[in-house]
Amino acid sequence: MIYACVPLVEQTLSPRPPLISISGISQSFELLFGIQDFLHLGQKNDTELNTKLNQLPDLLLQACPFGTLLDANLQNSLDSINFASVTHPQKQPAWKVGTYKGKPQVSISITEKVKSMQYDKQDIADTWQVVGAVTCKCDLEGIMPNVTISLSLPTNGSPLQDILVHPCVTSLDSAILTSSSIDAMDDSAFSGPYKFPFTPPLESFNLCYYTSQVPVPPILGFYQMKEEEIQVKITVNLKLHESVKNNFEFCEARIPFYNRGPITHVEYKVSFGQLEVFREKSLLIWIIGQKFPKSMEISLSGTVTFGAKSHEKQPFDEICIGGTAYLKLHFKILDYTLTGCYADQHSVQVFASGKPKINTHRKLISSDYYIWNSKAPAPITYGSLLLSLSSWTLWPFKKR
Amino acid sequence: MGPLSRETWAQRLGAFRASPSAFMAGPEGEDLGRDLLNELRSEKLSEQTKVSLLALSLEYPAQLWPDAAAAEAAATSLLDTLVLLPPRPSALRRPLLLAATTALAAGDALGPTSGASRRLLPLLLGLASGRDLGRGFGPASEQRPLQATACECLRELESCKPGLLGGCLGLLRSLLGQEGPVQPLSLLLALALRNTLVIQARARAGLQGLLVAGDMPAAGGPWNWTLAEEADAHLQPQAPSWPAAEEEECGLAVLEPSPEEARELRAAVAQLLDTSYLLTPVAQAQLLWLLGWALRGLRGQPPVLFKPQLVRLLGTAQLTLLHAVLALKAAFGEALFTAQDEALLLRRLTLAAQHPALPLPAHLFYLHCLLNFPENCPLGPTGEETAPLLLGPRLCRGLLPSLLHDPSALLAHLHLLCLLCAEDEEKEEKGQDWCPRHYLGELLAGLRQRAALHGGPRALATLCFQASYLVVHCLATQPTVLTPLTHGLARLYRARPALAPHFVDLLDRVGPELGEPLRTALRQEVVSRPGRDEALRWHLQILSKVADGKAPSATLGFLRAAAAHCTDWGLQQALLQVCRALLRAGVGEGLADLLQALARQLEDPDGRDRARLYYILLAHLAGPKLGVALGPSLAAPALTSSLVAENQGFAAVLMVQEAPAPMRLSVGPRRAAGPVPVLQLQVEVLEPLYSVELRFRVEGQLYAPLGAVHVPCLLPGRPCRPLHLPLQPRRPAPAQLAVRALFATPAGLTCHAHLPPLPVNFADLFLPFPRAPDGDKQGFFEELWDSCLPEGAESRLWCPLGPQGLEALVARHLDPFVVVAQPPTSYHVAIRLPPASRLLLRLEAAQGDGVPVALRTDDWAVLPLAGDYLRGLSAAV
Repeated sequence: MIYACVPLVEQTLSPRPPLISISGISQSFELLFGIQDFLHLGQKNDTELNTKLNQLPDLLLQACPFGTLLDANLQNSLDSINFASVTHPQKQPAWKVGTYKGKPQVSISITEKVKSMQYDKQDIADTWQVVGAVTCKCDLEGIMPNVTISLSLPTNGSPLQDILVHPCVTSLDSAILTSSSIDAMDDSAFSGPYKFPFTPPLESFNLCYYTSQVPVPPILGFYQMKEEEIQVKITVNLKLHESVKNNFEFCEARIPFYNRGPITHVEYKVSFGQLEVFREKSLLIWIIGQKFPKSMEISLSGTVTFGAKSHEKQPFDEICIGGTAYLKLHFKILDYTLTGCYADQHSVQVFASGKPKINTHRKLISSDYYIWNSKAPAPITYGSLLLSLSSWTLWPFKKR
Repeated sequence: MGPLSRETWAQRLGAFRASPSAFMAGPEGEDLGRDLLNELRSEKLSEQTKVSLLALSLEYPAQLWPDAAAAEAAATSLLDTLVLLPPRPSALRRPLLLAATTALAAGDALGPTSGASRRLLPLLLGLASGRDLGRGFGPASEQRPLQATACECLRELESCKPGLLGGCLGLLRSLLGQEGPVQPLSLLLALALRNTLVIQARARAGLQGLLVAGDMPAAGGPWNWTLAEEADAHLQPQAPSWPAAEEEECGLAVLEPSPEEARELRAAVAQLLDTSYLLTPVAQAQLLWLLGWALRGLRGQPPVLFKPQLVRLLGTAQLTLLHAVLALKAAFGEALFTAQDEALLLRRLTLAAQHPALPLPAHLFYLHCLLNFPENCPLGPTGEETAPLLLGPRLCRGLLPSLLHDPSALLAHLHLLCLLCAEDEEKEEKGQDWCPRHYLGELLAGLRQRAALHGGPRALATLCFQASYLVVHCLATQPTVLTPLTHGLARLYRARPALAPHFVDLLDRVGPELGEPLRTALRQEVVSRPGRDEALRWHLQILSKVADGKAPSATLGFLRAAAAHCTDWGLQQALLQVCRALLRAGVGEGLADLLQALARQLEDPDGRDRARLYYILLAHLAGPKLGVALGPSLAAPALTSSLVAENQGFAAVLMVQEAPAPMRLSVGPRRAAGPVPVLQLQVEVLEPLYSVELRFRVEGQLYAPLGAVHVPCLLPGRPCRPLHLPLQPRRPAPAQLAVRALFATPAGLTCHAHLPPLPVNFADLFLPFPRAPDGDKQGFFEELWDSCLPEGAESRLWCPLGPQGLEALVARHLDPFVVVAQPPTSYHVAIRLPPASRLLLRLEAAQGDGVPVALRTDDWAVLPLAGDYLRGLSAAV
């Protein structure tokens, strides 16, 4: 689907004005993001999508009756059509349609995604980063209940950085504003608690996003692949860091082979877990399961033979040329964050009638967790170059 | 037409939406608007269908009510429908208000003379202020949504007629203070406030208590149009932008509110800002843009009013709010953002531009904002994209491009990297490996490596060339970047010659900084590998682009070797295309041999013909002419014959073409000297002409054939010395000369033109006799006089004199021929008329209005000519 919007620009277009000077640009972006969210969030099938598409013209009339956007949250516009008969004696925020009636409860869920690029090379530094999102749903009575949520870190937790907040957050500590990954980290970095006072909207929303630079990646590994005519020899080694909770919902390593024919034959040895072979997709999936073994270290080695390449079917990749290859880790750990970040139930302050029930959830999932073949060139970022040259100390248990 | 069913309407609306203008032009078009208005009152249609009819009128008001009268009638009908609704909840009230407003606004019918406007405005204002308007306006439960809608409608009308609500500012403020719907009221008040400020500043009037002015206009009372009429023809932009607002700024500076007014204004603005957190993010952003740029430069309105909002918004993840903060930054600069604040904002923007939680379009927009960041103290020229001063490589670390990026993201980040490299020029000498320029080199190498992948997708190659172009565009002056880029591209060509079309395109687009070295590198790359090669086709395509006069022997050597492998027509044509490029570049030596060989050796007759043609051209045309003849590049040769295609190109150049006369030729003053009469021609040209040849032909063979006159160059506005055209009369008689001009135009075409005929007069043929011996002029004359008879003829005639008298007449026309003169009464004149005639005149005893002339000639045919000449003298000036 292609989303497009034409903003109104009431000025001469020559010379072309910079986009930054046109208010309609960001308004258009918000509308498109809004439409995207409306169409795709919680969407289960095509029928549902079609229903929503049919609602779109009416919603647009509601959200921008004269072409000026009033609310990019189309779900709100939809609700406000339905809520039309409710009267509000008090000042009501435009982003909150109606009020909640029922048992008060607040649920806070922290989802951290960890991404990594591992090269196992002398001259290129591995990189990893945690991106967190805190999602809230506040079912509280009253028009403008005030809530303050504090995120805390354990003593050895990694400071949160690059914090972006939802517009309903009413104020931010300057330490939160200034802690950013752009600057060099030092021990004086602000390590919480991170307080977010806000007036919640009715719907579930992302209270804040953050990033963090944890000292080690949760799983460190290397991947060696050597081409030998029609077959490749692979060796994979993965090690879970001792500080990480060894209790996965799932953990698997996907080893794709691009720009080659279908897999015709695999000989392998795994120290742990099972290997699944998808011949036509030229893909190996190493299912590691719920736990790493006691040693925390597992390995896979084998030989993969490929058939003749037929262009239409075989997966193509523009980066994985020749020996350039990767394996990608997929895992999920419940009730755990890599930074250690948590929302303490007792630190949640709610200024509203009734004592709410407070639920908190945490999870860590992998996202773009790559381990590149160390026997061939791999794509790098500027950060990898920079880190490797500024004598960044490699963490001690790294295996060569 | 009777009431239509729901299905019929659905069908009709479907047809309309498919092509509104076609539908309106069709047979049903005329009735659609009327039917639509009627159906709204039909009891058969469901509310939902009616809402969809109203939605249509909101989307296509200009098609449905094309002129002001129709719009007025539609608005009136819609208002009537609204009033007639039964007092129960209805989904129609809101869309009816919107539709009536749209009809008036889009139909340009809004105004004091419009009845519908006079009804709609008080109605909207009444609804907006939450007053009870009676039964017709629905149950109480509907009041609040209607109040919001009325505000939206008023905002639309205010933006169409700025100043419309100038008299209601006080009312709107008090409504906002009470329990009105915050967002619609805030946006309406902000717009009305901004418009009022601008109008009053233009009119050089104060705020005149408008901010506190009281209550709403009495129901049924007249609407106050004063401000709106003052503002007429000055439509304010609805969606503000910086430059547009800047123009207003000077206007606002003249507004000098009294301390009282300034305080009221400040209070109004503070009121709006204080409740702004209740607005949706997009509406907050609109409010901040509007107020920020409205108050810019206004006295008594310190920007610090906005400070609390900034503190709230700096941490935002919302694109439109961060954009609004940037707008405030641009509006107020240092007055609102200290150096520290600026640094913080820049950091927030930098991190937003790379934050993994934000989507790619947001990253790209923030990146654009970074490059156009409104700095407190900008260094460079405005309007040029530069990395802000505070944004060093360290801050940019996460913003640099990587091969893992999407193409659009990669190019955007690459742009930033180029700007950093451009800045980094001076600091280069440190020898750090990871300096931006080094990284740029690595990145480009990576892109080329991907582009070199055989069978890889075209998009990868395109990206590589786009990136190369961008780098050249930004860093054209940096040899440390361009040299490796040139070599890298040459290596890419070696690895994948099939990219030749991309190279040709790149060469067409880049300037000489990269173009020159890249041409050389590619030429060397190609010619250093002669012999059979699958990529011969690509090599020839490249060569035809890059072959020039440099190192022709290597190129010719390559072509000679390639000729043996050019077995099919296409390859032969490609080969000849390179020869063509060499011909144009003026390569002569060696090329003639090659062409001759090709003319013999090529298998295809078409190729042989073309080679022969080139050979002939080379042998017969001088360099510049050859260049012009082959000038515009040959269009793709038609499949039948390359020769035909080629001919279309230069047949015109090689042929002489008819052209309109580009010059004016006239006869200048007579010279009357020398052995033969000589015409002095004067030339004026309208455009530069080269190698001009003027050819003359005498009608009736009165004179011997005339030689052509050559002029190397004629330029407009630059006087040319007169051209001499010697005449050799066979008989002493006037004649007409037909004139043709042949010339070359600056475009290299050879043209010929017919010029208007040139008259040669009788007097143009006059020559004096050789000088008589000093002592005896009279005797000399008498001798001539006597010699005319008996073969000749004698005549007497009356030559009228004009006011000038005899002396002046002679001095003017006959002076060179006078032999004996006794001024002012007597002149003896002897004229030689080539080839062998003479004309002798005695002008004696002039009287007031004429002089008797005795004339003799040895050629009786001259007599009538002489008579005409003499009688015409007085008239000739």
